Amino acid sequence: MGRGATRRSVLAAAASLPLVAAGCGKGIGALGSPPRPSPDVAVVRGAIDGETFMIARYNAVLTAVPALAGSLRPLLQQHHEHLARLRARLIQPQGSSQPEHTPSAAATAAGPRAPGTPAAAQNYLRLAEQAAASTLLGKITTAPPSLAQLLASIAASEATHALLLAPTGRPG
Amino acid sequence: MSASPSPSATAAAGQGVPALQAALDAEHAAVYGYGVAGAHLTGAKQKAAVRDWAAHEAARDTLAAMIIALGAQPVAAAAAYQLPFPVHSEPAAVTLAAFLEDRVAAAYLGLVALSAARLRMFGARALQSAALRATSWRGTALAFPGLEASAPGPVLAGQGTTRPTPGPSTPGPSAGGGGSPPPPTGPAGG
Repeated sequence: MGRGATRRSVLAAAASLPLVAAGCGKGIGALGSPPRPSPDVAVVRGAIDGETFMIARYNAVLTAVPALAGSLRPLLQQHHEHLARLRARLIQPQGSSQPEHTPSAAATAAGPRAPGTPAAAQNYLRLAEQAAASTLLGKITTAPPSLAQLLASIAASEATHALLLAPTGRPG
Repeated sequence: MSASPSPSATAAAGQGVPALQAALDAEHAAVYGYGVAGAHLTGAKQKAAVRDWAAHEAARDTLAAMIIALGAQPVAAAAAYQLPFPVHSEPAAVTLAAFLEDRVAAAYLGLVALSAARLRMFGARALQSAALRATSWRGTALAFPGLEASAPGPVLAGQGTTRPTPGPSTPGPSAGGGGSPPPPTGPAGG
């Protein structure tokens, strides 16, 4: 009985090794090749990069055209909510020194340049929202069910942002 | 014979019947609800209600055909539905329309969790359409359409037996949840 329990705990410890290896980031070579992140993780990271870059676009527009703050702030807030929900999907290994996913170089490099007029800036964001929505839709057939639902919901939200950013909006 | 899908694809789609029925149920409620909303709207808003009502009728028929194709019997519409709040004015009618779209969006999100890729995409696109209509009515966006219900009140529940009878449409709060909903004299009337 006691022997069996010991054996189970050894197995559990062995199973947790790859997580530790993924978390420490250094000296991985001594333990062999690190575990490959699952495709789901790549999808979540891609979506996180997308939201991060979208927030950067909004911030650039708000700096260039402060007059748009009233209409843009609620949309920007929702992108922060998207980002938080996506980040919660990434389970960080214990002891990880990196509490959050660091955006890729593409998401942080230099920052986007926003057009200087309200109409052009709004159109710039509208096109970005449309593109983001369709990128997310392209991921839902391969993601696990609950992640697919989150991505579909965020895509729908971004499509509605694009609607609100349209010059006239929908009558009615 | 030659064009029949593979057994595994058929099985995967067949597992989607409950979610398709839930979406159909939401579309039935939307068709009814837009009839109520349309009766309290005028001008451009009524035109929008008629257009959205037609979209829900088309979606209802599409879902019924999909369910039949999977060998199941589509759920029937209830004779009447309990509204989530009294609708006696234009603002209430607009709020109802947005509420209906939120419910439809949530129902379609159920399809996105299925294993059949075709049903997932169908659900995701229908979710997006509902979210766009909701935003048109509400004038604002939601962060997570379909995932969070923003509208107040209980689910639009089918009442099954009684059809609402035309009655006085005095504005103001009705007697709680027990009051009968206004007659569907709008675009759905009949």
